[in-house]
Amino acid sequence: MRYFWPVITLIAAAGLQGNLPAAISIWGAKPDLVLVVLISYSLAADPAFGAGLGFVAGLVHGSFVGFSLGSFIVTRTITGFLSGLVTARLFSENLLVPALSAVWLTVVCEVLFLLSNPRPDLGIALRKVAGECLSNAILTLLIQFALRHLDTHRKIKLANARI
Amino acid sequence: MLSVLREKAVLTLIVLVALGVGIGAAHDRTLDRGTPFLFQEIVSLVLRPSASGFHLAAVAADSAGHFARPRRSILKENSDLRSEVQRLRTENAALTEAAQENARLRAALGLWQSAKLSMVAAEVISRNESTWFDTATIDRGRRAGIGRGWAVITTGSRLVGQVLETDAFTSRIVALTDSNSAVGAMVQRSRSNGFLQGQGGDYLTLSYLPKDADVKVGDVVISSGMGRVIPKGFVIGRVVKVVHNKVMGSTTALVRPSIRLDQIEQVFVVKPGQSVPQ
Repeated sequence: MRYFWPVITLIAAAGLQGNLPAAISIWGAKPDLVLVVLISYSLAADPAFGAGLGFVAGLVHGSFVGFSLGSFIVTRTITGFLSGLVTARLFSENLLVPALSAVWLTVVCEVLFLLSNPRPDLGIALRKVAGECLSNAILTLLIQFALRHLDTHRKIKLANARI
Repeated sequence: MLSVLREKAVLTLIVLVALGVGIGAAHDRTLDRGTPFLFQEIVSLVLRPSASGFHLAAVAADSAGHFARPRRSILKENSDLRSEVQRLRTENAALTEAAQENARLRAALGLWQSAKLSMVAAEVISRNESTWFDTATIDRGRRAGIGRGWAVITTGSRLVGQVLETDAFTSRIVALTDSNSAVGAMVQRSRSNGFLQGQGGDYLTLSYLPKDADVKVGDVVISSGMGRVIPKGFVIGRVVKVVHNKVMGSTTALVRPSIRLDQIEQVFVVKPGQSVPQ
């Protein structure tokens, strides 16, 4: 049951990923919604959960794309694990922490992916990684901001109800 | 070391990575054989409603955007379309005349008469799902008779790519711009044959052209029909740069594709072993 909503969100993110307008891309890369969802959930969980969710994320994303299913699963599993590891070591109330985590986790994930799937033009590949990092960081920041805003409202409502 | 391995999280990671490698290897094997991968078929069935749902939402939002436009813009578009219809009518009449003349000349020369292509119409429900691959999903699969490797074209006989894999209800297509994509192509004007490869960017490279190939910037590149999977004559793009390699004794041309994956909505999947009416 712990995996239910995260997996539903991953499936929705994968469906939405393929319908994102090209206009929102930065340096030829759109935000990787599946990766952002994985990082966002795993940052609030333990490494084992992160690895499990990463496995599902890779399976979902790889099935959508049709190429390199194994690379998708392995890179996302490792990213989920590392993301969960961050929670124990770097947890902070500061909103910039998840955004910066999204940057370095995206770099790790995509560099691992590029090692198993080399691109003919390294310049284009690096530009795309940079663009994706920026997009993912902005999106993670917005998601975390929205979640914390909602959480604060929920707490205020709860406190008012008690009074 | 052993104590680290005994940790639940690390053990989970190792097991899942090993499982991922196994699934990946099995998937690659089925891709090479061209057979369906049962595991992925089940996942695709679960994922399909999500992609279709967001596609329908995107189409609805697009339509709503069209309805919410100011009257002046609609009137201007109407006027533009009327003049476009007029221009196309004139062009159509000229083309009909040319086609009839072409048919008469072919008959006179005893040349082969082109037949209509056998193809399946489909709609793109999802595209560019990953940063690294130029792939898309269409809403027709094995049940519509589509098979692996079939050519995918759009209006104007422009080649988009090929079918990568199919499941019962959907197919994944790989665009010409993808770095895994390669097709036989030739320069329409000079008939110089080469090998067209995607670079994962906005351009394609037409390589293995002869040293003295007659290629110029602006030349139209079409599919050559080599291998008999992609029919001959589909428009691929235009040459934007020509590089002569004196050491290797070959010529390479940089080609801008006639259509990008993010511009297509409807496609036609063409059965192999046919020829495009020339």
